[in-house]
Amino acid sequence: MKKIISILLLVLAVPAALAAETETPVKPVLTLSAAKKAVEAAEKEAARRGATVVIAVVDDGGQLILLERLDDTQVASVEVGIGKARTAAIFRRPSKVFEDQIREGRVAALALPGATPLQGGIPIIIDGKVAGAIGVSGNTPQEDEEIAIVGASAVSETETSGEKQ
Amino acid sequence: MKIIELVLAILFISCAVSAAAQVAEKKSLTLEGANTVITGAMAEAEKLNAPGGVIAVVDDGGNLMALERIDGTFAAGANISIGKAKTAALFKKPTKFFEDVIKNGRTSMVALQDFTPLQGGVPLVVDGEIVGAVGVSGAASAQQDEELAIAGASALMESPSADMSAAPVTYIDSGKVSAAFAKGMPLTEVANYKVHASRRTGPGVAEVHTKDTDIVYVLEGSATLVTGGTVVEGKTAAPDEIRGREISGGEPREIKPGDVIIIPAGVPHWFKDVKGPVLYYVVKVS
Repeated sequence: MKKIISILLLVLAVPAALAAETETPVKPVLTLSAAKKAVEAAEKEAARRGATVVIAVVDDGGQLILLERLDDTQVASVEVGIGKARTAAIFRRPSKVFEDQIREGRVAALALPGATPLQGGIPIIIDGKVAGAIGVSGNTPQEDEEIAIVGASAVSETETSGEKQ
Repeated sequence: MKIIELVLAILFISCAVSAAAQVAEKKSLTLEGANTVITGAMAEAEKLNAPGGVIAVVDDGGNLMALERIDGTFAAGANISIGKAKTAALFKKPTKFFEDVIKNGRTSMVALQDFTPLQGGVPLVVDGEIVGAVGVSGAASAQQDEELAIAGASALMESPSADMSAAPVTYIDSGKVSAAFAKGMPLTEVANYKVHASRRTGPGVAEVHTKDTDIVYVLEGSATLVTGGTVVEGKTAAPDEIRGREISGGEPREIKPGDVIIIPAGVPHWFKDVKGPVLYYVVKVS
């Protein structure tokens, strides 16, 4: 009797677990320590170039996890840096994509809610998923992005770049 | 021609003077300082076992300098912590002040723009100047948010770079140093170190300093210095100081000008034989 019940329970439990997995799949979460690793790498790259920048890391919802403003960086870069990171995270692509679209004539991209369509935001990809993003602002757009790529690569499993495929 | 130069020079000087009167200097917080604040707040969060927390540091203009969000903290905490820090910096008061004012009936104050009147934001004060602020959100309560912020702010005030930059420099000129060596006397004694100009003309007693490490540099004369072993008839002569007749066991060394000897705290030492006056410079570190 006991055995039958436990088998029944087992049979019932398996589909429940399956259902849970389809309804609430697990996603990778960017930790503070991973964010620190990314910022550290980006900071080193900025120092190597003598660049004064803001480096921001956000989670997959575009919310800040970690930010550093290197000494003597223009303060306006704080909001721009966060904006680039948020754009890369919530649109799941480098923010340069939108800057390119607008330059090529798709002015409507300016109306995208929550987007800062400026080069320098790069998604952080873990287990094939965008777990967050890094945004850099303060220098030339090209340099900002290169520094962001160095930061993202320190934790991302794949190289990411804003270059058009 | 010379007159023109003179006039130009006078003009130049008066310009410089008026510029000085129109521009004041103020301290500014560095990223290193901001990170000291965050580290201090993080340590407090760990100590209090806080369930989470976002710590934001802004400069005196309310612009974000550094931010860290502890794993698992609600995401909205990021913006709230920045808001608290900004409010504390721009209004130059802890944000609890405004929360209380509003609670006590001045509801219209919530109409202020760019204003987060929630407990947990504290100005960063260095030498009486506000250099920025720290804001915390996401801990167990508004009260705990503020505790973490205060811990962060005090970490900055206690950090050695903040105090030490203004510490006085000690200068003792050679005349005074020579005079001290002639008698054998301390050059300076402060809480964490002492510097002595020592002179010995005969054998000493066995000594143990329980807290001070002696760093000795021999300048003149020679002696037999015994270290280690045990002090014979040792008595506590002064706080943290044991003296005795001699050392039994121990390792003898002939010391001469130019030698450096480091005697760690707690190690017995004894000038057993002294040939002529021995002059040595000692730094005692506790």
